[in-house]
Formats: sequence, structure tokens, C-alpha cells
Amino acid sequence: MSTPAISIQNLTKEYSVPFRRERVTAVKDLSLTVEPGQVYGLLGPNGSGKSTTMKIVLGLVPPTSGKTEIFGRDSVEVDSREDVGFLPENPYFYKYLTGEETLHFYGKLCGLKGAKLRDRARELLRLVGLEEAADRRLGGYSKGMLQRIGLAQAMVQEPRLLVLDEPTAGVDPAGSREIRDLILDFKKRGITVLLCSHLLGQVQEICDRIGILHRGVLIREGRLDDLISIENQTEIILENASPELLGEIQALIAKTPARVLDQRKPHTTLERYFLDVTGSQ
Amino acid sequence: MNALPNALPSATRHQYFSFARIGAIASNTLLELIRLKVFYFILIFALVMISSSFFLVKLSFQAQFQVLKDVALGAMSIFTWLLAVLSTAMLLPKDIEDRTLYTILAKPVPRFEYLLGKLLGVLLLLFVALSLMSVLFVVVLYAKQQSAIAELTAHAAPGAMSAQMSAQIQDILSQTFTWNLVPGIIFIYLKAALCASLTLLLSTFASSTIFTIMVSVVLYIIGHVQPIARDYIMHNTQGASPAMIIYLSLISLLIPDLTAFSLVDDIAAGTAISTILFVKTAGMGAVYIVVYFLVGYFVFWAKEL
Repeated sequence: MSTPAISIQNLTKEYSVPFRRERVTAVKDLSLTVEPGQVYGLLGPNGSGKSTTMKIVLGLVPPTSGKTEIFGRDSVEVDSREDVGFLPENPYFYKYLTGEETLHFYGKLCGLKGAKLRDRARELLRLVGLEEAADRRLGGYSKGMLQRIGLAQAMVQEPRLLVLDEPTAGVDPAGSREIRDLILDFKKRGITVLLCSHLLGQVQEICDRIGILHRGVLIREGRLDDLISIENQTEIILENASPELLGEIQALIAKTPARVLDQRKPHTTLERYFLDVTGSQ
Repeated sequence: MNALPNALPSATRHQYFSFARIGAIASNTLLELIRLKVFYFILIFALVMISSSFFLVKLSFQAQFQVLKDVALGAMSIFTWLLAVLSTAMLLPKDIEDRTLYTILAKPVPRFEYLLGKLLGVLLLLFVALSLMSVLFVVVLYAKQQSAIAELTAHAAPGAMSAQMSAQIQDILSQTFTWNLVPGIIFIYLKAALCASLTLLLSTFASSTIFTIMVSVVLYIIGHVQPIARDYIMHNTQGASPAMIIYLSLISLLIPDLTAFSLVDDIAAGTAISTILFVKTAGMGAVYIVVYFLVGYFVFWAKEL
């Protein structure tokens, strides 16, 4: 059995409130496991404890009780971060650095240097489609470009785990699509992704497994397909079906206890429609 | 899209202390401050230097050099201190507010290295700034010295070089460049570095940059007036309550006597600084820089981000 990418055991985090005796519980007795290669979506309304959980996993905040591990290494230890790349929500990197300088800076923090660092930076700039903006300062980058350079810096040391907090927040549909494709590409390469997002449609498209946090408590957890499929219903999508064939199917169904709840033409998504329209102009 | 290899376990072994990481943070901090155009203040310093040298023409040569050194060293001290406080105060809050700190500490970077890198970046900046001001100061002083010698020789009869004139030229030369300018400039640096370390400590728990700057300025003032309070206690122990004595002693311990670094008057007057005094003062400065940094680190280590 392989070591989990993330293991959270009975995690509780309480914050003290200034000038008050009471403490606020941000996360309560949370246990979950993310296996290597999975894309795990951590969902929940604002203030549900998602960000606190992520910060504890990254070792930025110590837990009140419980334990978190990254590939078997305690999150409290600095060396556990060798295998992690992190993109916070709405990150503002150093505006005075160019895209390439930004990657050099983060690469040096991970022990890269010389030709290896230069090659890696160029490789990542190509991967996120920022080769042409490599020499521009980040102050002049758009929101989508900032998210993409953020993803590149998260990937600089070739980590096995990526922690992404709202990676497409504030990005236009085309940029959002690009970021989603990048995440899918990471998934193909076996990189584990822990994703926090409010965009449920996007989570549904890319996550294998999800956990739903509410007021610091994990209220649902499991494989996405298992959680959202309706057990007693079946969906058949036909292409080029003639009215005669549809009539025959209806007649066949009428002979059984099953009943047709809905029959309609499937819709494309608004995102796909938008991208098709704007892409053809 | 084939640029990335498949995910493999990290092949590198984590180093618990890395000069390369500290160097990366320090050089990035220096670059940040340079690109924020903090060196513009050197233009103001140049203006102060050049204008003051013009206003001194009516004084005697000796008085001119003394006042010039006085003004230059005083201005260098204030500018370096201002640079230390203003640039250090914004470093940490800005990284926290922009969440850049998260991206750095989410890499295998210990908090100790992050903080040390920030401090070293500021110390490098102060070194560069003070070196530039010192060069400017030396150039103006040299120009003033040469014009004084030229003026003196212009009034002498052609070809005549009396013993009196040689003595006067020697006097000018000895009054302009003296070795005690060097420890004076080192003390200016140490004082600014100490204030930078103190400001960094304050910024680890302060809620805003303005608060950090204000408290740092107040502590700077206390550092300058505390020797007066200390002398008062030493000479009037009968009038002071034990609580007051303990309180003032504690302040003296927490905030060093910053006037110990102000040797501008001695230097301007040409008084030599003894080696013992130099070592003692420099040692005190270094100890306070390290202590402030370590206390700052412990606060930052326990800080919930």
C-alpha cells in the first residue's frame, strides 16, 4: 500500500479571540486521506475551515490537536514541503520581478541553481504559456497571467503534490479553461492535487474525490461519482435517433415498471458555448 | 505540454540551513528596495552637501571643514536611520498582506532563514546607501580642500612658498581627511543596523506598518534620552524610588544608549577615538542587533499566519 499524499488525522484547530476567553473552532476532528495521483476537491462555504486546513497541511499554522502528513512526513517539519507546490487565493507575487526572475527566485528557495534552474524556468514558462511575457514585470500581468505564473512557481521544484486555493478566482473563462487544462495535465502525470474552489462545475469536471466542510466539520466525503449519482435513475444519450426509434423505446418502457422522467435535447455548457463564440471571432 | 516529467519522489535532501536560500531572500529584498527607488533620497543628501558647502564660504578654513563634516555626518546618520526604519517596517506586513509570505514559507524555507534573509537584505541596502553617501562626502570634502589650497596659494607671491604657507597647507590637509572618519561612518552603519533589527522585531507582532514606524521612532528617541535618565539616577539615587530605578534600568537594558554611536562632534573636532571605545561600542551594537533579531525570530516562529 502506497503512502498517502496527504493524511489528516483527527485534526482540530481553535483560535483564541483577542480580549475574550472563548475560542473559535475553525476545524473540528477532521480526518481524511488523499491518495497519490488523486485530484481532491475540498469544498465548503466561506468560513468553513478550508483555508485553515490547507494552511495546516502546508505547515503555515500549527494544529491545536491531531496530525497532518505529506507523503508520510509531518507537516510541521520544513522538509515535508519539498514535495509540495502551493498557489494561494489571489496571490500577489513581487510586482517588481519579471516572470522569469520570479521563477528563479522560487527555484533558488528550493535549492535549484545554474543551468538547471534556467532550463526549468524556461520549461515552466512554456508550459503555462508565458514565454513571451517572461521579461515583463509582474506588475503588468493580467489576473489570468498571475495565476499561471503562480502555478509555474508552485511547480518549480517538481513537487508530487499541488495545493491550489481557488486557482481560477477572478480569471476570465478562457484563462479559467487553460488553468483547468493544466490541472488535468498534472493529473495525467500522476501529480496529486488538493483543490479548494467555489466553482462547483469545475470541481465536478476535474476532481476524483471530494470532501465537504461545513462549520469546520467534514459532513460528506467520498468518490465524486458515488456522491452525486442517483442510484435509481439511468441516463442514455442517443445520437441521430429517429422519432420511430424513440417511439419504440417509449413503448418498451411502458411495458415495464420503469417510467421516463424527462426527455430532452442535452445542452452544451455555457462555458463551452462562450469559448466557441469568442474563439471564432 | 510535454515539458513536465511524471511525479517522482523528491530526489533532493533537505538542508536545514542553507546560505543559498538566505542569499536568495536577501538579494531579493535588496532588489525590492532598489526597485522601489529608495535611493532617490541620496539626491537629497547630495543637495544638502553641495548647498552647505556653498554657504560656508564666509567662515575660516578650519571652521568650514568642521561644519561640513558636522553637517555631512549628521545627515548621513539621519538618512541611514530613516532608510533603515522605513524600509524594514514595510517588509513583513507587505509580504503577509500580499500572501507572498505563504508562497515562500510553503517552500522548504525555515522561518529563521526567511527573517534572516530579510534583515540581511536591509543591511546590504544600508551598506550600499552609506557607501554612496560616503563617496559623495569624500568628493565634496576633497573639492573643498583643493579650493582652500588653491585660494591660499593664489594670494601668495608667485614662486614663493614660505614655511608659514606650507604649515597652513599642512593644516588644511590634516583637518580634512582624518582616520577617525572611518570609525565614525562604521558607527553610523551600526546604529542604523541596530534600528533595522529593532524595527524588524517590532514588525513581527505589530498590526500595521504605521504602528511599527511610530514605535520605532519613539524607541529611537528613548535611546537618545535614556542616558540622561540614567545619569540622573546615578547621581540622585536618594530621590528615586526603587520601582523607578528598576523601571529605568530595564529600559536602559532593553534599549541601548544610542548616543554612544553619535561621535560626530568628536570626529568633526578631530578628536581621536580610542580602540577600546571603538571595540566596546561596536560590540554593544552587534550584540543588540543579534538579540533583537533572535527575539523577533521567536515571535515570528510562534506567529499564526
